Amino acid sequence: MATGTGMIPSIGHAAVLIGLGLTAYALVAYVLAARGGDPRLGISGRRAVIGSFVAAAVGCVAMMISLLTHDFSVLYVAENNATSTPPFISVISLWAALEGSILFWALLATGWAALVLHRYRDRHRQLIPWVGATLAAINLFFFAVMVWPGNPFLRTAPVAAEGLGPNALLQNHPFMALHPPLLYLGYTGLAVPFAFAIAALATKRLDTEWLRIVRRWTLIPWIFLTLGIVAGAWWSYEVLGWGGYWAWDPVENAALLPWLTATAFIHSAMVAERRSGLKIWTSAMVIATFVLTLVGTFLTRSGIVASVHSFTQSAIGPWFLAAIVISLAGALTLLVWRLPNLAGDGRPSGTVSRESAFLFNNVLFLGLTFAVLFGTLLPLLVAATSGDTISVGAPWFNTVTVPIFIALLFLMGVGPALPWGSASWATARERFAIPVIAAVVVVGLVLALGLRDPASVGTLGLAVFVAAVMGDEVVRGARARGRTRDENPALATWRLTTRNRRRYGGYTVHVGVLVMAVAVAISSGLATDRTVTLAPGETATIGAYEITHDRLVVEPLANDARIIETRAEVTYSGPQSGSLGTALRDYPNSPTVVATPAVRTSLAEDLYVTLLASDAATQTVTLHLFVNPLVVWIWIGGAIVGGGAVFAIWPERRARRVTVEHPQRAARPSVENA
Amino acid sequence: MRHLRWLLIPILVVPLGWLLFTGFGRDPRAIASPLIGQAAPTWTIATLDGATLGTDELSGRPYIVNFWASWCIPACVDEHPVLASAHETYGDDLVVVGVLYQDAPADAEGFLARYGDAGYDNLVDAGGRLAIEYGVTGPPETFFVDANGIVRDKQFGPLTDALMAQRLASIGVGR
Repeated sequence: MATGTGMIPSIGHAAVLIGLGLTAYALVAYVLAARGGDPRLGISGRRAVIGSFVAAAVGCVAMMISLLTHDFSVLYVAENNATSTPPFISVISLWAALEGSILFWALLATGWAALVLHRYRDRHRQLIPWVGATLAAINLFFFAVMVWPGNPFLRTAPVAAEGLGPNALLQNHPFMALHPPLLYLGYTGLAVPFAFAIAALATKRLDTEWLRIVRRWTLIPWIFLTLGIVAGAWWSYEVLGWGGYWAWDPVENAALLPWLTATAFIHSAMVAERRSGLKIWTSAMVIATFVLTLVGTFLTRSGIVASVHSFTQSAIGPWFLAAIVISLAGALTLLVWRLPNLAGDGRPSGTVSRESAFLFNNVLFLGLTFAVLFGTLLPLLVAATSGDTISVGAPWFNTVTVPIFIALLFLMGVGPALPWGSASWATARERFAIPVIAAVVVVGLVLALGLRDPASVGTLGLAVFVAAVMGDEVVRGARARGRTRDENPALATWRLTTRNRRRYGGYTVHVGVLVMAVAVAISSGLATDRTVTLAPGETATIGAYEITHDRLVVEPLANDARIIETRAEVTYSGPQSGSLGTALRDYPNSPTVVATPAVRTSLAEDLYVTLLASDAATQTVTLHLFVNPLVVWIWIGGAIVGGGAVFAIWPERRARRVTVEHPQRAARPSVENA
Repeated sequence: MRHLRWLLIPILVVPLGWLLFTGFGRDPRAIASPLIGQAAPTWTIATLDGATLGTDELSGRPYIVNFWASWCIPACVDEHPVLASAHETYGDDLVVVGVLYQDAPADAEGFLARYGDAGYDNLVDAGGRLAIEYGVTGPPETFFVDANGIVRDKQFGPLTDALMAQRLASIGVGR
C-alpha cells in the first residue's frame, strides 16, 4: 500500500541539496588550490568530494526505500512502480527512468571522483587540483540537474492510490539489472581520463605522467562500457523478439561512439607513452570520448531521437546540451591553446612500423566514429533542414562500417607483430608467412565445406590470420624464455604472459574480439528463419529442428495479475529437444504487447522462437522461428574481452617488473623508455 | 596562419550544438493519426453504469472520445477537470465519452469517486477493441469527432483548457 508522505523522500531531497553544496565547494576549493592557494584547500576539496559521494548514496538509498515501500507521493515512484511490483524490480527501477538514472549516475560519478582523489592524495601535486576541479565541475552539473529540471524526489498532490508500474521492457528480463549499471559505470568512469587530460593541458605537464596514470583509469571504465554494450545486445536478443542483437538503434550507437574513441585512445596512448608521438591525437580522443558520453546520454534520454530508450520528454535536454557545448568548447580551447606544446617531439618512424599501424588503427576508429555519428544524427539534420522524417537503418550502417571493421581486424593481426620504429621486409615476411598460409588453408577448407557467404569466409580467414600471428608471438616468446631460463614450455608461457600483462592482456582482448567477429559474421550470414502458422498438434521444421505446437494459454502472470500473458507451448526436437513457452505479454502501461521470445542455446546454435499472433478461438498460433548459429560465442567473446582487459590491468609484482622478457624488446632496449 | 587554429573551436562546436538544439520541441512519439479526416469507428459498448451506449445514439452531435485509466497519473488526473468542465459548459452541444484503457472497472470507479464524476458516460472497452480501432498508443489520448462523424483532431497527452478550446474549434464547438 502507499504509505503517504513519509520522511524518506525529504531526506533524499536534502541529501541532493547537500551534495550540490559540497560539490560546489569542492570546485571552488580545487580551483583555488590549483591557482597556488593554500594546500589545505585541496584536502578540504577532497573531503567535500567524498562527502558528495555519501550524499548521493543517501539519495539513492532514499529512492530505493521509496520504491520498495511504494511511496506514490513521489512522482518518480508513482510513474515507475505499482503496489504489485516485486522488490527486485522496485530496486532496479532506480535506473528505469530519467530522474532516477541521474541520481544513480551522480552516485557513480562521485564514487569515481572520490576514489581517484583519495588514491592520489599524496601524489601528482600539480595535476590533482585540476583533476579535482574538473571532476567536481562535472558532478556539479548532475547535482544541479537533480535540484532544478530533473528532481527525482518531486512530490505529487493529491497522492495517487496506485502507481503506473515499471516500464514493461524493464521488467521483462533480469538483464535490466546489469546492463544500465555497467554502461553507467563506463560512462561516468570516462570522466577520469578527461579530467587528467584537462589537468595536463592546464598545467602544461604534457609528458607521459598523465598518460601512465590514466591508462588504468581508462581501461577500467572501458571494461564496464564493453560489458555494458555486450549485455545490452544480449538483453535486446533475449527480450525484443526480433531474433537479432544489434539494430543500430540510436541508443546502441550512443554507447558505441564513446567506446570507439576510448578504444582509439587506449591504442594511441601507447604510442604517446612510448614514442612521444600522437600526443595531440591522444588528447583529442580523450576529449571526444567524454563529450560523446554526454552526447550519448543526451540522445538517449532527452527524447530527441525516438527509440526504445527515450522514455520521456523532459526539461533536462537543454541542460545536457549546455553541458555538451561548454565541455566541448572549453576542452577544445585548452587543446588549441596548448597545440604548440604538444606538437612535434615524436621520434621519426618508418612507414611500416608499429606506430603507423597504431595510427591507421586510430584513423579507422575515428572513421567509424564519424560514420556512426553521422548516421545517428542524419535524421535530426534532415528534420532540421527539410522537415522530412527519415530513418537511417541497419543496411546503411552495415554497408559503411563492415569494411572498416574488417580493416581493423587485419590491423589487429599486423600491428602487434611489427616492431616499433621501422620494419624491414625480411621481418614482415618472417612474421607473416605462417599466418598467411594458415589463413589460406582455412579459407580453402571452409570453401570446400560449402560455406560461400563472402563476409563470413573473409572474416574467418582474417581471424585465423590474426590468431596465428598472436599464437606465433606467444610461442616465440615462451621458447626464448624457456631457452634462456631453462623453464618448461608451460611455465615459460605463464611467466611470459603474467610478467607482460599489458601486452598479453591486450592479445587476450584481441582473441575475444576475434571470437565475436567470427560469431557475428557467421550468425548474420548463416542464420535461417521462417514464419509458420500452426494449429494445435501441427508440426513445422526449421533447419534440423521439428517444432510442434501443443497448446495456447492465455492467463495473468502469477506475480502481477495486471499483466496478461498469451503463451504458445511448444515442443521441439533435433540437435536440442525439450519444450518451451513463447509469449506475448500485455502490460497495462505499455501501448504495445511485449514479446517474450524463447531462446534455447547451445554452443553450435540457438533455437529462437517468437510468438507473432494467435487466435484464441481456434488455438492457432503464428510463430517466427530462427536458427541462429554461434550466437552464444558473441557473449563468450565479450567475456574474453573483459577478462583480457582485467588481466592487462592486474597489478604486476613490482620487484620483478624491471626484467625485460620479450626477445624483440630485449633486442631493442633503446626504445624502452616507458 | 597561427590564429587560424582557433577557428577549429566554432567549426566543431557550432554545428553540433545547433543540430542538437533543433531537436527540441519535436516529440518523436507525436504521430499524426491516420484517422483524421476519416469517418470515426462506430460502436455500441457497455458503460461503467451497466447501460449501453452506441454511436447511433449521439444523433448528429459532435463528440469527443477520451481514452484514460485510473493508473495513468498524473496526466489523466491533470486533464480530468478539463473534461468535466467541457461537459458542463457545452451541455447538449457536445458529448463527452470516456473509455477505460486497460483498466479494471472497480479501479476506474475509485478514480471517479476520488477526483469527481462529472456525469458523462465511460465505456468499458473489453479486450481493448475500441482502443485498437482508434490506434491509441497510450492514455490519455482524445479524439475529436464532428457532427458528421468525421475525426477532425486528436490530442496526444493531457488536455488543458486552452488545448481543449483549440481542439473543440475543429469540430465546431464553442464558436
